[in-house]
Amino acid sequence: MEKGVKRVMIVDDDESVISVVKKVLEANGMEVTAVTNGKDCLKELEAGFKGVLLMDVVMPEMDGWDTIREIVKKGLIDHVIISMLTGKDEPDTKMADLKEYVLDYIKKPFKSTDLVKVVNEYLSYLK
Amino acid sequence: MKPYKLVVIGASAGGPRIIKEVLDGTPRLNGAVILVQHMPKFVNKALCESLEKISDSNVKIAEHGEELSSGCIYIAPSELHLTLTDDYRINLSKGEKVHFVCPSIDVTMKSVKEDDSVSKMGIILTGMGKDGAEGLCHMKSVGAVTIAQDEKTSIVYGMPKEAIKAGCVDYQLSTDEIRNKIIAFTGLLKERVF
Repeated sequence: MEKGVKRVMIVDDDESVISVVKKVLEANGMEVTAVTNGKDCLKELEAGFKGVLLMDVVMPEMDGWDTIREIVKKGLIDHVIISMLTGKDEPDTKMADLKEYVLDYIKKPFKSTDLVKVVNEYLSYLK
Repeated sequence: MKPYKLVVIGASAGGPRIIKEVLDGTPRLNGAVILVQHMPKFVNKALCESLEKISDSNVKIAEHGEELSSGCIYIAPSELHLTLTDDYRINLSKGEKVHFVCPSIDVTMKSVKEDDSVSKMGIILTGMGKDGAEGLCHMKSVGAVTIAQDEKTSIVYGMPKEAIKAGCVDYQLSTDEIRNKIIAFTGLLKERVF
């Protein structure tokens, strides 16, 4: 990641969540890429996205877990910090083999200040 | 020289955040701390640097063969299991994943030996699954004080819950309480160790 650039990708099929996350993070100087499904997320990663990835769990066609599984399979995991951003209180068993790749788990609804704090922390990991 | 106090901490999803809360502002601990966090390899160094900023202890990525020292926090490197030798050196080895992960908290905790001259503490923090539950029970059986993070402060309560279900947890504590417990357990080291 270029020095000083704070890149975040939100992957969520709910446009209202995307809108809030974009607004909050962009107001804090972050560059936000928004996609509504796992396939578009993979396309962005293949095109060279590096940064923090906020991943919803429940999405049509390819859910968050399957998307992460594909990210790992395609060797796109390096230089991407993954946190789930989901309405599910607890991860389901589909996460079992992905524990090494999911660094955090943010539950909706979230406080804007908490989201910014967590994302900033992980962006600092990518310097 | 072997440490007289040994703390083994295991964490998974949400761990970097919670570990930071637990170790924030901790003085130089008069004991050795081993940290097993499930994470991708490229995060190892960043986590180390992040923790170095908030604790007075020396934070480092564990190296094969090194002797444990008081005042040091050792981070288990990704893709290798970390075990302790009888003379309190670090052993890193490639191996099959346990509970889908390498390093596994269970593997590290199960390598802690019964030794009356070393006081031990095992801690399970936030995370999904059951890695650490068996390891914590083992630590309890060799005389360790055992702690699971409480539900309220856990980001994902799965691992602490499994440890509690296994019946080997002495204390269920918040992050603040865990920090205080660690400091009270190890005491403070007067000189910084490098």
